[in-house]
Amino acid sequence: MLLATLLCYIGFTALCLSMNRHYEDLTGRPFSAVRGQALRFSGWAALLVSLWIALVSQSLGQALVQWFAALMSSAVLLVFVMSYRPGLALSLAGIGVLLCPVAAFLQLLA
Amino acid sequence: MEAASVSVRAPEKRQRKPRSGAISMRARLAVASRVFAALIGGYLLTALTSICLAQFLPLARAEAVVLAMTLSFLVYLPAVLWCFACGTAWRAWLGLLLPSAVLAAIYAGARWLL
Amino acid sequence: MAWVHTWAGLTFGWLLFAIFLTGTLSYFKNEITQWAQPEITPHEVSSADGVNRAQQWLGENAPDAKRWFIRLPDERSPELGVSWSPAKGGFEEQPLDSLTGTAVKARESMGGEFFYRFHFQLQMPYPWGRWLASLAAMVMFVALISGIITHKKIFKEFFTFRPRKGQRTWLDGHNAVAVLVLPFHLMITYSSLVIFMTMIMPLSILTTYGKNTQGFFDDLFPAFKTAPASPDRAPLASIAPMLDVAADKWPGSRVGLITVNNPGSANASVTLTRHGADHIPHEPGTALVFDGVSGELKNESNMGAASLMLAGGLYGLHMGHFAAPLLRWLYFLAGIGGTAMIGTGLVIWLGKRRLKHAKAGVLPFELRLVEMLNVASMSGLMLAVVSFFWANRLLPVSFTGRSDWEVRAFFCVWGVALLHAFARVFFRDGRSAWREQLTVAASLYCLLPVLDMATAGGYLLASLKQGNLTLAALDLTALATGVFLAWGAFRFRGQGKTVIASKLAPAVQEAR
Repeated sequence: MLLATLLCYIGFTALCLSMNRHYEDLTGRPFSAVRGQALRFSGWAALLVSLWIALVSQSLGQALVQWFAALMSSAVLLVFVMSYRPGLALSLAGIGVLLCPVAAFLQLLA
Repeated sequence: MEAASVSVRAPEKRQRKPRSGAISMRARLAVASRVFAALIGGYLLTALTSICLAQFLPLARAEAVVLAMTLSFLVYLPAVLWCFACGTAWRAWLGLLLPSAVLAAIYAGARWLL
Repeated sequence: MAWVHTWAGLTFGWLLFAIFLTGTLSYFKNEITQWAQPEITPHEVSSADGVNRAQQWLGENAPDAKRWFIRLPDERSPELGVSWSPAKGGFEEQPLDSLTGTAVKARESMGGEFFYRFHFQLQMPYPWGRWLASLAAMVMFVALISGIITHKKIFKEFFTFRPRKGQRTWLDGHNAVAVLVLPFHLMITYSSLVIFMTMIMPLSILTTYGKNTQGFFDDLFPAFKTAPASPDRAPLASIAPMLDVAADKWPGSRVGLITVNNPGSANASVTLTRHGADHIPHEPGTALVFDGVSGELKNESNMGAASLMLAGGLYGLHMGHFAAPLLRWLYFLAGIGGTAMIGTGLVIWLGKRRLKHAKAGVLPFELRLVEMLNVASMSGLMLAVVSFFWANRLLPVSFTGRSDWEVRAFFCVWGVALLHAFARVFFRDGRSAWREQLTVAASLYCLLPVLDMATAGGYLLASLKQGNLTLAALDLTALATGVFLAWGAFRFRGQGKTVIASKLAPAVQEAR
């Protein structure tokens, strides 16, 4: 579930960045529609991939419960970290991206 | 979000307005009526829906009843929302009692015919 | 629609806050019971030994009962739980020590069961508490959906939380805990209706089964249909081998409840159901029935029908029996989120209307009433909860009715908090009510670990030596709660300022 959780957080961060107001608050750079589109696409993609990963690794019931738990936890974490330490919120997403291959490897081993 | 005042639209002419800011007795009664409609009328409609579902679902008896009860609350919800979204308190009651009567008729018909 | 949300939220908010808070505590009810009865220590006992001891004790102490119930110890409950339905009616229980098979020598306490039962029975006589709780659940459902409909910027403001902006922050917070945890809130609310559906929506049972409502339950749970006791007596077979059959039939799943019907009579039977921790749906219909005299498997029922799994699934999701420690903490945090959603809503309701009366300087009666109820139902309830734990540690370990006194402490403190809130809100101001109650609550929560070490320190250390972190975890959670409440009390320091803002910021702001 680690990989799925990381992807949830990354996905939500991307979706958050795809919004004008948050992009500028978080990155300090000007927003562009193209970038917004790309972020929105990758955000949703990350969330869907995380769901798929949850589904292939355990039974349907457990997968859905754990995925929703990961979804809600990462959303709450992002929103509250972002509100007080926007840089940290982005750094966490970056770390998440770096950890993804590690998490994927661990999942394949299990 | 709105202020604390009640917003109830009445198609008939408004009566003489009382002291500014105060809520008229008429408005209070209308709200109370909607609340009762939601409570009682909503329950009636929900119960009749569950009865009809239990009767007509093509499942084993106990399973049909369980599914009917489980889904019934999905009817109670819009019933309550309807009571407060519709134009008048009368329409709130009508909007619940009419479908209830229809469902009751369908159920009664099924029981007599089958 | 906003009208529905705000008024449904207000009228039932105080009750729903209590239901959500005690329900959230219930996710750790077994752990709370462990803390409340620290004398019961976990032992490594095989299930065969455990059930043998239970069977022996019941045979000696409840031979004429209509039914026996046995629950083996597990990772969250160290006691060997036996209970029975005496021949004369009613229900009795006696936790046993899993190693000796004798009654535990522990202080009498409801433990976590108190919060669990309160959250759906509300300490009211049967069935009124359940009806009121169910009504509250339906209103909660209406409030949730009407809130979603009203929140027009639900997607735009999905990630929005703006701290340090007074009323705006409260609203952002309310929206955040509501929307970000929405799947949980919807599941909890709808499933609570499903759990009581046979009570609150029974007409479909009556129309399809007529007077034979028992037939409905027999169809659902064939394993629990039992004939009255036969007059012939016969010794009960050993239950232990039946557990092996169950392990075979249910790989990867333990036995949850062992029910012995008509023990000691010729038509005795033993029903086994699966342990709740091993699967998500609540499946009382999946059971193994053994002949009580020969010990042979008579019947095997599997509750697999889709509609039953839907209802059972919702039931199981609500109860969260299946949740392992990490998920269980997430359940707890989500429940805190729901509680906070309701609490922030109540604060916002008052806050908005208070702004309108800021110039007058005096709050009208209705708003004072709301303020009093806000204080009593939130900080007052927090005080009541911690008082239950304090009573548990302070009351002498053995005297009859001890458990009732713990419950009385809870309600007495809540009552006193209500009186204090009344006195402060109507004769001074709401700020002092909040400040004083939060200060006392913070102190009691922060000092709970100290109290625990002073009065039951031996058990705490013994549990830690054994590697059992439960008691320590509860103490630490209490401490963290105390710190949070202290922060809250700190925010209410001083007189408070009502600032009529300048032309640049037309909204009236209230410094907190």
